[in-house]
Amino acid sequence: MTLRKQLYSAAEMEEAIARMANAVAAAFPHPGAECALVGIHQLGVPLAERLRDAIRGITGQAPEFGKLDISMYRDDIGNRNPLPLIRETEIDFDVNDRIIILVDDVLSSGRTIRAALDALTDYGRPRMIRLAVLVDRGEPEYPIRADFVGFTSSLPADRKVAVSFGGDELAPGIYEVDWKK
Amino acid sequence: MQWTKKDLLCLYDLSAEEIEFILDTAAEFKKVSERRVKKVPALRGKTVVNLFVEPSTRTRVSFELAEQRLSADIVNMQAQSSSLLKGETLLDTVRNIEALQVDLVVMRHSAPGAQAFIARNLKCGVVNAGDGAHSHPTQALLDIFTVREKKGRIAGLKVAIIGDILHSRVARSNIWGLLKLGAQVTVAGPATLVPREFEEIGVRVCHNLREAVADADVVNLLRIQHERQTAGFFPSTGEYARFFGINDETLKYMKPDVLIMHPGPINRGVELTGDVADGEHSVILEQVTNGLAIRMAVLYLVAGCVKK
Repeated sequence: MTLRKQLYSAAEMEEAIARMANAVAAAFPHPGAECALVGIHQLGVPLAERLRDAIRGITGQAPEFGKLDISMYRDDIGNRNPLPLIRETEIDFDVNDRIIILVDDVLSSGRTIRAALDALTDYGRPRMIRLAVLVDRGEPEYPIRADFVGFTSSLPADRKVAVSFGGDELAPGIYEVDWKK
Repeated sequence: MQWTKKDLLCLYDLSAEEIEFILDTAAEFKKVSERRVKKVPALRGKTVVNLFVEPSTRTRVSFELAEQRLSADIVNMQAQSSSLLKGETLLDTVRNIEALQVDLVVMRHSAPGAQAFIARNLKCGVVNAGDGAHSHPTQALLDIFTVREKKGRIAGLKVAIIGDILHSRVARSNIWGLLKLGAQVTVAGPATLVPREFEEIGVRVCHNLREAVADADVVNLLRIQHERQTAGFFPSTGEYARFFGINDETLKYMKPDVLIMHPGPINRGVELTGDVADGEHSVILEQVTNGLAIRMAVLYLVAGCVKK
């Protein structure tokens, strides 16, 4: 992928995560008892970890924490070659009757979230599911909406929004990149 | 890395990385069978034909269950009730199957290389469930997965495979996989069933049980078939058990944390006593559980590479 420009700095990213955590805490004042954050691999997981820490800082309670890989629920197996490694799914708490907040870095087509809903409901029957994303690109292909949003962004379809928490090619921040399949 | 092959034919063809990739994928599929809903939609809309020209119960059931848990549609074909009896060539049989828009064929055949031949000539993915004495990749993968789960690694471990190595596709596949991942392998049994030639592929050959298992971390016991006794490879199963069977006495000179494995079905009192099969060293039943996870992983990975 080719880097085009940086959209937001690491500091702006942290600020956005703090805002999202405040919004979650306002909506669910007892996150320890009622809520669970489930990060969607790959970048939803470090984002969920930061959200959990921020929520704990605000409310004194940490919600339950889980990780989800949706590879087994994709709708494009056999169309997209080859398949990447399935990462660890860990849902150690009881999903039944809980408020689950799915966490992902970017909402674009909404298909990942559709797959995540199918995966999550195979574990039980949540009371409700909400969605937290750092960047909402608007115009999803499926009727999926985000409830807690860091930034909105409207870029043309051939540009990808890449989030980095460091530890890969990019320094922490949010970037616009070219996406060639 | 990523998985790029539409077939799984033999561990000899895979790199160490590719083998680890399958094992890591299987670790996630194992969790699916532990959930309330033991099914994922990964192969929904895909059709798998189980073509067992050489009969099988255990492997076939394991594959069938793996396919069901991946939401695939399944067709079972056995040699006895198939057109092969009417003289249709194998290639024609499989081409007819492909004409039904099938995505994967899981095949067992008594002729070594049959699956490789089919795979070269078909657009479907082909998963080898055993071809003659040549290869049984999913069995070796589940064996290696079991060892990795219990011991945390494969590299540097000492593995002893005991029994009819000469006729065993399980032994051969295990040897390829284990050597690629850095284990040291010893094969042992009666000299009639464990020829010295096996040294040429990098394993130690032994005709004495105690020597073979003394420092082994893992001991994998192959099933002794009565047909071999009839053909004169050894005098009697009783004598085999006396010289190569694992019992409480032999355990005394093995490592205290040794794993006892067996691909099944076990002959109690021949390859091992009932006490050993049911004892604390045995992971035989876990092998069966892991076999399901490995087969789900393999089917998922090859299905992703079958082009329409």
